Amino acid sequence: MLIELLTDQYPGMRQWLTQRLSAVVMALYTMLFVLMLVIQQPANYQEWYAFFSPWWWRLVTFIFWICLTMHAWLGVRDVLKDYVANLTVRSYLQLLVELALIVDLVWLMMILMNLRF
Amino acid sequence: MKFSIYRYNPDVDKKPYMQDYDIDLEDSDQMLLDALVRIKQVDDTLSLRKSCREGVCGSDSMNINGKNGLACITKISDLEQPIVLRPMPGLPVIRDLVVDMTQFFEHYNSVKPYLENNDPLPETERLQSPEDRAKLDGLYECILCGACTTSCPSFWWNPDKFVGPAGLMQAYRFIADSRDQAEEERLENLEDPYRLYRCHNIMNCVDVCPKKLNPNAAIAKIKDLKIERAKDKKPKKLFNLKVL
Repeated sequence: MLIELLTDQYPGMRQWLTQRLSAVVMALYTMLFVLMLVIQQPANYQEWYAFFSPWWWRLVTFIFWICLTMHAWLGVRDVLKDYVANLTVRSYLQLLVELALIVDLVWLMMILMNLRF
Repeated sequence: MKFSIYRYNPDVDKKPYMQDYDIDLEDSDQMLLDALVRIKQVDDTLSLRKSCREGVCGSDSMNINGKNGLACITKISDLEQPIVLRPMPGLPVIRDLVVDMTQFFEHYNSVKPYLENNDPLPETERLQSPEDRAKLDGLYECILCGACTTSCPSFWWNPDKFVGPAGLMQAYRFIADSRDQAEEERLENLEDPYRLYRCHNIMNCVDVCPKKLNPNAAIAKIKDLKIERAKDKKPKKLFNLKVL
């Protein structure tokens, strides 16, 4: 079963495959986004608001952002693994990146759900 | 002909330095190794490894004008002057152009570069079909010169953990061998996030290989094979329920 590749039985494959699968989702969303943009051509706030109004489009956008978050997290972690040899410094930097990505994801979720501070 | 060569003798020198040479070559000196032998006639303190002088042993791999290669099969006429020679990057320097390849061979050993077959020994050799034999082309020719692994940034950053292109290509050489029975173990041996997956397709290995091999393709095939094998696996039971 292919799904097993995403379990902790395959620690290396899991990361590698997650990065590739998330990239595929992001590529598909980007194509869809450009297509929607060409069709609807939102020019002002109201039109942009309408652009993101359909529930399915918000859901797809949120899935895209989850993939973006995972992809970015794995990518930045790879770069940190390569360039930051000191484990303590690397752990703090990783934590910083993780926090930033989580805040970003939550922020997007609030925007999509029309929440305001 | 002008040369600038990396010099370092840990017994005498506090730190490495580049030494310039201006050498008159003979007409018979066609390859870089010929020139290095000529330099050694002038300065016998220069250290380098060499053996077969025809691209088979892989001893004289070094960094030539910024790119790893074998001195014995590199034409002098193809090189810009001054020819800058350094030891292969990413490995400890023993002296001048001689590097300590212990780490490289430890990784090579870690992939068990030999056939594992538990069947009783046949009377004659273990036969292969021409098709199965052809699967080893582009893999078995590796001479373990280390040019690919030492030009790989992933190896520079994680030399103790990442097996490197040469080791991984040899891992695939035995995975692809129809006579080998340890495919499963070999794939598991490379499952750690570092050993195989630090390869980011930078392709320096393909660029420098003096035998024109493609370690990157071998690495990709290992990953593909892992996916293929997972496809064939039967799904595991999620709950171990006893049915009366």
